[in-house]
Amino acid sequence: MHSKKVRIITVFAAFTCLLWIFGLGWTVKDYLIGAAHSAYSPPAADESAAQTNELKIIALGDSLTRGTGDIEGKGYVGYVTDQLKKEGLDVSLINLGIKGLTSERLAEQIKEKEIKRQIGQGDIILMTIGGNDLFLGGQTLTNITDDSISKLEEAYLSHLKAILADIRAVNTEATIYLLGLYDPFNEFPEGALTSKTVRGWNSKTMELLAEDSKAVFVPTYDLFQLNVNDYLFTDHFHPNEVGYRLMADRVAALITSGGGPR
Amino acid sequence: MINLVQNEMTKLLGKRRFIIISVIILVLLSMFTYAQARQAETIKERLGTVDWRTELQQKIVDWQNRLSSAGQWREQLQIQIEQSQYYLDHDINPSEPGAPTFIRGFVENSAELFLPLLIMIIAVDLVSSERSMGTIKLLLTRPVSRFHILLSKYIALILSVSLVIFIFGLLSYIISAFMFGNQGWAAPVLTGFKVEGGELNISEVRLVSQWQYIIQQFGLAWFISLVVGTLSFMLSILMRSSAAGMGTMLACLIAGAILSNMVSSWTSAKYLFMVNLGLMNYVSGTAPPIEGMTLGFSLAVLAAWMLGSLVVSFAVFMRKDIY
Repeated sequence: MHSKKVRIITVFAAFTCLLWIFGLGWTVKDYLIGAAHSAYSPPAADESAAQTNELKIIALGDSLTRGTGDIEGKGYVGYVTDQLKKEGLDVSLINLGIKGLTSERLAEQIKEKEIKRQIGQGDIILMTIGGNDLFLGGQTLTNITDDSISKLEEAYLSHLKAILADIRAVNTEATIYLLGLYDPFNEFPEGALTSKTVRGWNSKTMELLAEDSKAVFVPTYDLFQLNVNDYLFTDHFHPNEVGYRLMADRVAALITSGGGPR
Repeated sequence: MINLVQNEMTKLLGKRRFIIISVIILVLLSMFTYAQARQAETIKERLGTVDWRTELQQKIVDWQNRLSSAGQWREQLQIQIEQSQYYLDHDINPSEPGAPTFIRGFVENSAELFLPLLIMIIAVDLVSSERSMGTIKLLLTRPVSRFHILLSKYIALILSVSLVIFIFGLLSYIISAFMFGNQGWAAPVLTGFKVEGGELNISEVRLVSQWQYIIQQFGLAWFISLVVGTLSFMLSILMRSSAAGMGTMLACLIAGAILSNMVSSWTSAKYLFMVNLGLMNYVSGTAPPIEGMTLGFSLAVLAAWMLGSLVVSFAVFMRKDIY
């Protein structure tokens, strides 16, 4: 190797060495000794959403929205989207569902800035909520009294009201589809009682939604009423893919016939 | 002295190790950039948008769904969620598309294992190869002290480490600028997240430019590589065979990667050098492997190991019988 070339490389390596020492020193100064806090003001966000023809679906809610129990993990939301795509619509989906979400936590989630922004851009809002409020992981089942149920119901309805108000505050146009509860326990000994409770719960939800002309209550109770075990996942709580498809058929039909493409 | 160092550099460059290293970096880089470009495409397809906010929000929701089944990763996940939420709330894109963001992620992920491995290629036979080839006798018959000979070798090592890091940076810049574009050097990066008792502390969060953040990262990567290089250097003096040295060092590095994930209850492990190699994590704000470790602590431990191995290296080399 040429000695001049080696010299150049050596000198260059020495320079890079200095550069890295400088970087290390800078890190030590910033992180160990402490850096001046620079005040930060966020840049003006461009709120202008790109205008496209696509149908924006925002899915909110609990494990049903997430798709727990579905082999393909799509849930009813995924099947609805699939069906709409098959109809030739240009659909985009944002699924914000979180397992185990209660109406209280959904009301909190919906207050987040970014969630609001996304809801504001949505054309269709799909929601499942309330199942975790009512069933509390199976606890409610063991001691149903009218008193305890009405307490849960009251809290749920007030949260739902807040959720709807928050959605309408950022988006007055979108159609909201709220899927009702079904009774996964109706073949249990206490089935008659839980069914009655779910029916009452659903009718109150429906009444609340009736105040908003663009909010649609989609019943699922009847879908699961007969042969409930055929439509439930092995956890005996969440729907399986057949159950999800039944739910999706109903929602997709509603979207294509009415509140869909405008 | 300068001549001695140059002599060592000539030998190192003559071995063509730098070319091998460059080729390794190039191959890996093209794989990573391709993978990342594909990933961006899939996300765009899934969400039907290129808006980073939508993407980040989706990630947060996905993480929240994983929380209930996360087990021991729960804490880590929670911190990740909070951090991302902070980015979102302040309207800062944590991964502004472009070459700088790619480099940032690449250095962060390679500093612990990949870069040290590259350095080992150079450092591990620095002395042992001279012994196995017999050239060490020629070197020692010169009218310079053994101390100076070893010192010149060590300086050559420091220079090579710096050069490798530079080659690494340069190549990743060229390739990622070609793939993702050159924009985003001034993009803001949030730093100063601290993890205390499993909670994210945001009281000292501040904003730096991405180029500044990258230079700091490279400084840390250089230090990590230098420590590993110094330890390999010591092994090349203690062990006759380069393969044995390489094996020992590899075992240590891999043990470090594994240990970092499972030592949280064995607190005295924090004095092992391999557990402390994750310097980047302090800067990006993820939980340290053992509660109570800080950047200053890790730097001190690594520096102590480096000094110790230097002392051993020189002491052994100056007393050793060479035959």
